[in-house]
Amino acid sequence: MSGDRNGVWRLRRADSGYPAALLDLDRDAPDALYGCGSDDLVRRLDVDETVTIVGSRHPSSYGLEVAEELGHLLGAAGLVVVSGMALGIDAAVHRGVLAGDGSTVAVLGGGPDVIYPRSERRLYERIVTSGAVISEVPPGMRPGPGCFPKRNRIMAALGAMTVVVEAAEPSGSLITAERAYKLGREVGAVPGRVTTRVARGANGLLADGAAVIREAQDVLDRLVGVGMSAVRRAGPELEPELVRVADAVEGGAVTPDAVALAARMQAGDAAVALARLELLGYVRVDAAGRYARTSMSAPEAGEGVTTLKS
Amino acid sequence: MLATARTFSLLGIEVREVHVEIDVCSGGLPAFSLVGLPDAAVRESRERVRSALENSGFRFPQHRITANLAPADLRKAGPSFDLAIAAGLLAASGQLRAEQLAGIMLAGELALDGAIRPVHGTLAMAEAAKLLGCRAMAVPAANGPEAALAQGPRVVPLERLGQLTLLGTEDEPAAPPPFELSLNGAAPDSPDLSDLRGQPYLRDALEVAAAGGHSLLIIGPPGAGKSLAARRLPSILPPLSRSDAMDVLRVASACGLLARTATAAQRPFRAPHHTISTAGLVGGGSPPRAGEVTLAHRGVLFLDELGEFSREALEALRQPLEEGRVAIARARGAVELPCRFMLVAASNPCPCGRGEESGECECQPGSARRYRAKLSGALADRIDISVPVDRPSAKDMGAKGGVDSASVRARVVAARERQERRLGPGRCNADMDLVELRAAALLTPAARRTLAQGHAKLRLSGRGHDRVLRVSRTIADLAGAQRIEAEHVARAIGLRRRGAE
Repeated sequence: MSGDRNGVWRLRRADSGYPAALLDLDRDAPDALYGCGSDDLVRRLDVDETVTIVGSRHPSSYGLEVAEELGHLLGAAGLVVVSGMALGIDAAVHRGVLAGDGSTVAVLGGGPDVIYPRSERRLYERIVTSGAVISEVPPGMRPGPGCFPKRNRIMAALGAMTVVVEAAEPSGSLITAERAYKLGREVGAVPGRVTTRVARGANGLLADGAAVIREAQDVLDRLVGVGMSAVRRAGPELEPELVRVADAVEGGAVTPDAVALAARMQAGDAAVALARLELLGYVRVDAAGRYARTSMSAPEAGEGVTTLKS
Repeated sequence: MLATARTFSLLGIEVREVHVEIDVCSGGLPAFSLVGLPDAAVRESRERVRSALENSGFRFPQHRITANLAPADLRKAGPSFDLAIAAGLLAASGQLRAEQLAGIMLAGELALDGAIRPVHGTLAMAEAAKLLGCRAMAVPAANGPEAALAQGPRVVPLERLGQLTLLGTEDEPAAPPPFELSLNGAAPDSPDLSDLRGQPYLRDALEVAAAGGHSLLIIGPPGAGKSLAARRLPSILPPLSRSDAMDVLRVASACGLLARTATAAQRPFRAPHHTISTAGLVGGGSPPRAGEVTLAHRGVLFLDELGEFSREALEALRQPLEEGRVAIARARGAVELPCRFMLVAASNPCPCGRGEESGECECQPGSARRYRAKLSGALADRIDISVPVDRPSAKDMGAKGGVDSASVRARVVAARERQERRLGPGRCNADMDLVELRAAALLTPAARRTLAQGHAKLRLSGRGHDRVLRVSRTIADLAGAQRIEAEHVARAIGLRRRGAE
């Protein structure tokens, strides 16, 4: 390893800190990694405690929600989360990890000091501050068209599992998943709506036998072992009316009118219930005013809740 | 010989008195010069006056004629000076007795055959003539009813230039009946809220917005009924008071909208296209002209596709929204135009309109993001309520229409009355300042907790917090509640505007 003027460091294949996981790529393994941020994080990378999450640059709000949540919870559970800092899912993953004070590594297509996409400058800076940005491309080089498919093999090799959140067909995310599969890594996918174009890639992976990822716990069950690390965020208990409304949102109702219809209540009451759920953290709202469920779950019956039966 | 006729010059929606001095010298070559800062339309007046006089059986004096429009430093624009110039010329050449023009104001555009065409601003002119203590105000016949609204000097409606000889005689044309105000009840042709099928949440939001005078943003895909709903907003706003109706008519008169569409005074609904220029939106030009915000005075300004309006135009809306008036400063003095309107904006959720969660969105990620950023930045601190809508379901379309405008309006009127008792006549919750808001925001302990929770959990900004409070006050007023309850705060939180993530 050697230092460089812009804070860029280098790890050659022969160096001791070179991630062992990349050696699984054999002759395809990068000769050197260039990086910004914490080189220590990269040197300590352990494939069994690393997960790669990738997805579309053009996700739905549902995809963004899931990606951020997965990043948040898996980072908080102690896994290192690898992604590609692309617009959309990748950026949401990194943001989630940072929000949960976890460790994240971004693998770029260009040099590690070349911010691409440029609009993610702030995210880049936050990753460099608390995680690491790496690339096999020397500093200063702008990413060319062939860079990203090549970059994907690094992401696939670093993680014990590659999770695809949303992906069109064909797409870079599917290339990553395929590389992961060929390396003998686990592949997981988040189910999407069958009518949605960006869900087709992920649903296709599921049809081919990929692990179903519904929540962070599913990843942990696979990587750490069943029941090892509970990461569900349990919220406060809810009145039956609020449960009905939360279920309606979970069932795909995004506007207060649709929620009122699905929960069979007055629009005004549904609006009040939605606001209360938002305050409790069970739902959240995007800039266009559409509601989505968060991963927060109601406490199980019996956990301090007296059920009618008893 | 020298003669003087009096008229007005229109500046925005106000008028200034202008003296037309005509001198006909018997020496020298025949000529007709016009001085006193006339614009092109005023200067061309010479040609119209010459032909109109000759075609009305008068004689155009073959002498050296000088017409001066005083005060000379005021820029004169438009064709409304024709009638006064012609009258002055007739008096100066002895075809009209000078006393016939005494105490009378004249305004009108001439056609070449001597007919008199309608002009802008005759209502404001008649009101000014009343203040000046004039005997009469001669206007084009088409402008007669609006001028008569001023209840000022005798209005003399003129059809033809030839009728000038009747001024001051027993045969002077009789004053026309004033324009019908018909203040109570909506105009029969205005669209009704019962056309809105389903969409109860949107209805609620419209009602709250109308009750508190809150500006509103509707977000939804094309075909969700955004503009259908906005167009029905005037029908649930309280009926115009007489003085508000006069405000509306004064603006309509100054913009020449009254002579053409003679319906009852009602709240205006203006929906400018998003390609509108800044001057077109807030007013401008030289001489200053009213923009859409002024045309929407006491009514609704609807901006469809909010994200497509130029940043400059949206920025220019800030002052009018805040102050209820626009000041247009020009080198030769400033003009102030009124613009108390309710803002309703609509937007697609993303550039292609399908909405990102639909899965059919075809927008480039970058463009969708820029669009969202622009949308959430646009007038972010001026819009109180935001409401998401979807296309009505098949079930909604088959349903009978909902409650009609009259019933909603009754509730709105009751809520406004509560606000006026608290804030004073003509005021509503949307224009409370911080001191008034604090005094009006009586919260129950549960409501206080809900608001505090919102502050902590949803990271409401100070402004956002005040806006939620303002809207909850309106919801409580609609419910007839003295104190704001937790439910009212929760509804206001649901209606608040969300920023970009």
